[in-house]
Amino acid sequence: MNKKNIAKILSFRYMLMATVLIILAGGLLLLPKHQKQEGITSETLLSHAISNERYISTDQISHKIINGDPSFILVDVRDEKSYQTYSLPNAINIPLPELFKDAHLEYINQDQFDVVFFSNDNFHADQAWLLCDRLGFKNLRVLQGGLNTWFTTIINPSIPSEDQPLEDFERYKTRKAASMYFGVTYPDQDIDNNLTVPKPTPKKIITVQKKKKRVAEGGC
Amino acid sequence: MGPLLPNGFIPFEWDSIIAIIIGIAFGFVLESSGFSSSRKLAGVFYGYDFAVLKVFFTAAAVSVIGIYYMDYLGYLDITQLYIHPTYLWGAIIGGVIMGVGFVAGGFCPGTSLCAVAIGKLDAWVYVFGIMIGVFLFSELFPLFEPIYDGYFLGNITLIDSFGWNPYWIIFIFAIIAVVSFVIADIIRKRVKKVFYE
Repeated sequence: MNKKNIAKILSFRYMLMATVLIILAGGLLLLPKHQKQEGITSETLLSHAISNERYISTDQISHKIINGDPSFILVDVRDEKSYQTYSLPNAINIPLPELFKDAHLEYINQDQFDVVFFSNDNFHADQAWLLCDRLGFKNLRVLQGGLNTWFTTIINPSIPSEDQPLEDFERYKTRKAASMYFGVTYPDQDIDNNLTVPKPTPKKIITVQKKKKRVAEGGC
Repeated sequence: MGPLLPNGFIPFEWDSIIAIIIGIAFGFVLESSGFSSSRKLAGVFYGYDFAVLKVFFTAAAVSVIGIYYMDYLGYLDITQLYIHPTYLWGAIIGGVIMGVGFVAGGFCPGTSLCAVAIGKLDAWVYVFGIMIGVFLFSELFPLFEPIYDGYFLGNITLIDSFGWNPYWIIFIFAIIAVVSFVIADIIRKRVKKVFYE
């Protein structure tokens, strides 16, 4: 290419650059818009989802409740009727559709307490966990197996058969004791304890002196 | 992904070093493109040289387009970028003072330091003036404090406060840039030429 042609092209160079600038800016305008992802990245979400720390077992949670551990909040994500029928002690009720109401956010979006979601199994609790985790809320856990597992392990633990290892018997003992804490009574328990009814202490009588009625003082 | 520093792709201990490298590059580019001459800078106001306008306008337009493309493609999260806080009246009054100083002295603070580095006497005087101004401001700070700290609007942008669509803004901004370059060229051709080194 000879110099003349180059000079010809170069004389338009500012025009060309200006056009490129405007085309690029216009391209931004014409690009199809997509919903931007809020909260944490998908990689972080995945690593949280496959982490073992996500679940808390019923044994762990009963241990915590019995010891009066103050570091966690139990969140029942079932509807209100189920919550009224039965729930874990001190659990608060946040039905899944109302998860992100302002009043509820202060329970689940904080980094002071562990939040333990539970439902009948862990299906709805997992959904709640996923929604909250995506938004970057911290210290979220799911009760493994939910209330169904709670019943089969803590409230009504199965008696291990004789060929099972010693640990199973130990665990059974712990679970049985835990279930007693949560109000289950066993037939052998009644026989063991010769229910000593404590003597009713006589009521203390506190005499309260009545205030003397004041005579209405004279006016003026 | 980005910005690189807040997301830990570069350890944050590097930020001062990166700032120094960028600063050196900035100073080098300013000086080598002749921005350490007060005549070139003042030329914008007298109409014989629009290099400053063109350079900074182009820089803004190119970077905003680039940033929004990177944001669109997911390489950069725009919401994580630093937005300078707005102190409304402080910004207006400061802008007027800076503008007057710019026309009168022919330097902006950055280019004045550039010119000091290559030993221009007028730049020495200019920087000395900046120092006096800094001293006066510091001494009279209690007087200026209500303006300095007041009228705080937060880290806002035009897009947030007016609810504009950023893509339209960028498009219009790019057109304004190109139009202003054309107008600048027309004015430059009409104004009497000034020759300087």
